[in-house]
Amino acid sequence: MLTRYVFRRVAIGLIQLFGLVIAVFFLIRLLPADPVSRFVGLNSSEEAYAQAERNLGLDRPIMTQLGHYLGVLPGEGEGLLQGSLGTSWVTGTAVSTEIAQALPVTLELLTLAFFFALVLSVPIGMLAAIRPGGAADKGVFVYSLFAGSQPEFWWGLLFVYLFFFTWGVAPAPLGILSPLTSAPPDVTGFVLIDSLLAGRPDVFLEAAHHYMLPVATMVFILSGPIIKMVRQNMVRALGSDFVLYARCAGLPKWRVALYALRAAMAPSMTLIGILYGFMLGGAVLIESVFSLGGLGQYAIRSILAFDYPAIQGVILVITAISLLVYLALDLIHAVIDPRVTF
Amino acid sequence: MAETVQIHEERRTDWLFWVGVTIVSLVTFLAAFGPSIAPYDPTLATGRVAVPPPGLSEWPGLFWASLSGQLDRPPHWFGTDATGFDIFSRVISAPRVDLTIALAANGLSLVLGVFLGLIAGYFRNIFTEGMMRVSDVLQSFPVFISAMILVALAGRSTVNIVIALALLYTPIYIRLTRSEVLSQRVRGYVEAARALGNPEIVVALRHVLPNSLAPALIQSSVTIGFAILLTAGLSFVGAGVRPPAPEWGLMISSGANQIILGEWWPSVFPGVAISLTVFGFAVLGNALERRYDG
Repeated sequence: MLTRYVFRRVAIGLIQLFGLVIAVFFLIRLLPADPVSRFVGLNSSEEAYAQAERNLGLDRPIMTQLGHYLGVLPGEGEGLLQGSLGTSWVTGTAVSTEIAQALPVTLELLTLAFFFALVLSVPIGMLAAIRPGGAADKGVFVYSLFAGSQPEFWWGLLFVYLFFFTWGVAPAPLGILSPLTSAPPDVTGFVLIDSLLAGRPDVFLEAAHHYMLPVATMVFILSGPIIKMVRQNMVRALGSDFVLYARCAGLPKWRVALYALRAAMAPSMTLIGILYGFMLGGAVLIESVFSLGGLGQYAIRSILAFDYPAIQGVILVITAISLLVYLALDLIHAVIDPRVTF
Repeated sequence: MAETVQIHEERRTDWLFWVGVTIVSLVTFLAAFGPSIAPYDPTLATGRVAVPPPGLSEWPGLFWASLSGQLDRPPHWFGTDATGFDIFSRVISAPRVDLTIALAANGLSLVLGVFLGLIAGYFRNIFTEGMMRVSDVLQSFPVFISAMILVALAGRSTVNIVIALALLYTPIYIRLTRSEVLSQRVRGYVEAARALGNPEIVVALRHVLPNSLAPALIQSSVTIGFAILLTAGLSFVGAGVRPPAPEWGLMISSGANQIILGEWWPSVFPGVAISLTVFGFAVLGNALERRYDG
């Protein structure tokens, strides 16, 4: 039953992804950008322009370009269907290689941020739910409304000013490792994990130190919607019959609270998944403030350089990860909440 | 017990509602008159570079002196940036750019989304179902990156930013209006209007539409706030309005390199402005939502 459900979800996801790829492919070619003159310069000769256009493959009919990208043209090398995302027009490196280098940073940033955001927000949301309309609830409500509507890049800069410049407790916002530190050998791509595998706690601490401010910024922004959601679901759970029953049965308060929390977390999971997918693209600004060199910064570079294969690759990877996260959380939802079946 | 809770919630709503109204009115006022009341031309360098703002204790004295005409030129309340622009003038002129983009994008997506949502909810057929799938795909794009792509590849102009944002926000309104229409179309008044012999299109536009507008209108306040955030974010990464337009995100971005060196004022003041503005719209939207539901 479960396998069939997962299989069906993955199949639908693949179809969605494919549709998205095609849509993005045509969309960026419909827009009036001229990547060729971006590469040869505006004052180039006609021959140079034509040559560059040929090199990028933009002189061919659009359906041929699509065929080339998908890899269905005979004798033209691998395409998307063979698992290749193409080569970047700017660097000439395979897009998949570049994304594989950038992605771990973004995933590390997001995972750390979500972990701490949940650790902080769940108790606060529960606190607010104990007495709806009480003083704590009011304060928490205003806070969550505020945090949920803030320019994250500005808060990042503000944190840099306060924690780096004024108090000197954070490193400069220039990536994850200082240029003098030799990076640990690449095993998983995740610096925090690789440094431990290589037995280099100093590198681990340095990376963690550099993650401190970007993660703090993101935790602040994320705490708004998460607190609001936990509070709402918690209020609903505390008002339900099974909590009343547990109370009447004389169970200790903390036990009742745990029961209610479990019921409240199940629906929250879905929203957290949506938030995670949203932040994959939304981390762009925070990555850029702290020069983390993650997927978001790769996206900015590719878009501003009109690097079509890279843009297509980024969108594809972000959407694919979001779909996987949704699926994983739906499965977790079923584990937490026994009423959900597939 | 239940009644106390009710009263508490109402009071909370009211207090916040007025905070939202105040902020939104102020920003709207600045969008209309900001550039006219600004002491300096927001796009003209003053020649005085990176002047820090006066300390808070000097403000009353300076204010009095500038009112009584003892100064040969207006003070730089918020200092000047690395180019020599007066930051105060730029901060109060920016709503004309930011709010205009946000209002236009929201208005466009509201009209388009409500119209398509009405059609999708009222006439359910293969075309409208297909439209919903297209809108699903649009909604699954990563918003910020999609906005960047649209604006960067179409050209960094105000009009293109508006179109890009409108395109990304339309599916929200389609969805909201459609689900409201679905609940309205089975009501008695719709049947009555039909029984009177009104053609379907008249029933949809004259009777169902006005009764299905509330969720979309309430969402507007929130969307306008987020559109301001997105506009600022786009200029921050270099895919939004072009310098030297007075725009909050652009100002924060131009001060970003100096903030590591301790020059906080070029980025902090426009940031406070965005922070309060978006909060104001969020609060107003939330209060309206509560009033409508209650």
